[in-house]
Amino acid sequence: MPQPLRYLQIFATFARNSLIRDMTFRANFLIEFISSLSWVFMNLGFYILIFHYTPSLGRDTGWGKYEFFVFTGTALMINSLAGMLFMTNADNFGELIRRGGLDFVLVKPVDTQFLVSLQRVDWSSSGNFLVGLGLAVYSLRCLGVWPSPVTIVLYVFYLLCGVVILYSLMFLLAATAVWLGRNETLFDFWFYIVSFGRYPMEIYEGRFGRPFRWFFTFIIPVLVAINVPSRFLVQSIRPQSLEEWLLPLYTIAATVIVFAVCRAVFQLALHSYRSASS
Amino acid sequence: MAAIEIRGLSKTYRVTRKKEGLVATLRALFRPEYEYVHAVRSIDLTIESGEFVAFLGPNGAGKTTTLKLLSGIITPTSGEARVLGHIPWRRENAYRRRFALVMGQKNQLWWDLPAAESFHLHQQIYGIPPDQFTRVRDELTEMLGVRQLLHRPVRELSLGERMKMELVAALLHSPQVLFLDEPTIGLDVVAQYTIQQFLREYQARTGTTVILTSHYMKDVVVLCRRVVVIFDGQIIYDGSLTNLVDHLGDYKIITIRFSDGQVPTDLSRFGKIILREPPRVRLRVARNEATEVIRAVLARYIAEDVSVEDPPLEELIAALFASARNSRLSQERGNSAVPEDTTHSANH
Repeated sequence: MPQPLRYLQIFATFARNSLIRDMTFRANFLIEFISSLSWVFMNLGFYILIFHYTPSLGRDTGWGKYEFFVFTGTALMINSLAGMLFMTNADNFGELIRRGGLDFVLVKPVDTQFLVSLQRVDWSSSGNFLVGLGLAVYSLRCLGVWPSPVTIVLYVFYLLCGVVILYSLMFLLAATAVWLGRNETLFDFWFYIVSFGRYPMEIYEGRFGRPFRWFFTFIIPVLVAINVPSRFLVQSIRPQSLEEWLLPLYTIAATVIVFAVCRAVFQLALHSYRSASS
Repeated sequence: MAAIEIRGLSKTYRVTRKKEGLVATLRALFRPEYEYVHAVRSIDLTIESGEFVAFLGPNGAGKTTTLKLLSGIITPTSGEARVLGHIPWRRENAYRRRFALVMGQKNQLWWDLPAAESFHLHQQIYGIPPDQFTRVRDELTEMLGVRQLLHRPVRELSLGERMKMELVAALLHSPQVLFLDEPTIGLDVVAQYTIQQFLREYQARTGTTVILTSHYMKDVVVLCRRVVVIFDGQIIYDGSLTNLVDHLGDYKIITIRFSDGQVPTDLSRFGKIILREPPRVRLRVARNEATEVIRAVLARYIAEDVSVEDPPLEELIAALFASARNSRLSQERGNSAVPEDTTHSANH
């Protein structure tokens, strides 16, 4: 069997086993499902409230109510995919290190990072993804925008780039567990960083905003993760500067680089693994 | 070609020296002091294909560390090892497909799912053809008597049943080399016995090369002809179990049951009395005097029953460890005058 197909099959089994497990504890699953959905709806309510007071974010930024909701829908999809596929696993990685469970992963004839990253699928986050998708589609319809097939392909591609960027940052931090033993606070850091990416980059303007925008674009490229795919749907009509054209190209480079760094650090971490006592 | 070849293999861990008290802890935060733990010190070992070898040694002797090095879980500080021609810590898939590791203290099956689901996952991870998978799985679960438990969640299994499932999971891909790290730890005698019988039968049939670590001498006696005793990271004995017993056991245990319910009071002149429980007495006598003592006792008193045994293996091994510890201590005392010697952890 060709390698990629085998990995896909293993992932399908992970997803299936996770679902069986989730269904064994149905009440727990429902509580998680509902609580994360209500968090999403509370946020949406808050955004709707904001647009009671203003028709757009800033002046002439192009982020009106529905443009922003396309953006938020995209943010929800990317975040929920990262959460659904990787969050439990990143969380669990510290435990694998501390209790020596990584031993069994290391002896398997499959890429260790793959096994560690995808072992568990958190199906309770799937609701958020559907809400994000629904929100984006609904907002596009309200705007009367019908994206072309090319736009949709580009959108999906950049959405996946966004997921890869979030994944890489997450596992970069998770891998430090090998050296630190406990890294819960460092791991929380991921949420803080990622929350910077949840807003259109135009809001990072002025003396305070510019350094933020620069930092979260070029050093920790979390700002391009959601902004770039969203712009393909609602902003691409009127590119404002040269930067706007270079951004998609840069995003591909940033995705490749941040993933490569994550991979390198992860390999180094595996090399330094000491394995908890018997 | 030998299945496993080890040359000068060493593993040293650097650990921060922990001190008590808040001030010392804060100081250590900025200027940590390290000490070095020599878990494995320059081990040489060759194991032929198809051998069943036991690693014996007290806790912390380096048995598990050696198994982890051979599994490629950790990287050595120095030295070489080849298992089936592969360098383990390169973690090549070609190697990882050919061996298996079972650890009695850790489990790899999904806790909340039936073992059958974990087995299915292993099938995909190892790329086992479906017909071979079904055949091997049924064979192994049949041999271990856990076939009817395949569809019960692992968390509902007893420790023994779970361990048997762990064994099945590890053997599904028919590994050529098997590392067993205390596979019977914490099990009741019946489960222990089943697993021993299984391992013996399985190894005889498949010719798998096996290394076993265990604290139960029974496991070792039943399964292994060759014994490697590891102490303080070094191999202090490598040879057959019978040789080890002959080498160490220079005495015998004689148990006598007197018929009139009275135990003679002058028995201590024959040997050391280790148990006095009328009408029974256990005597420890030098091996070459055993027949002489029995003859003398039987000539003088009326005995209902007499038995002669080798000393229990546990006792022999404990004596071996104790003497190794003593010689290590005296060696260190001698070495402490030579500061440039860095081979002992106590000198750091």
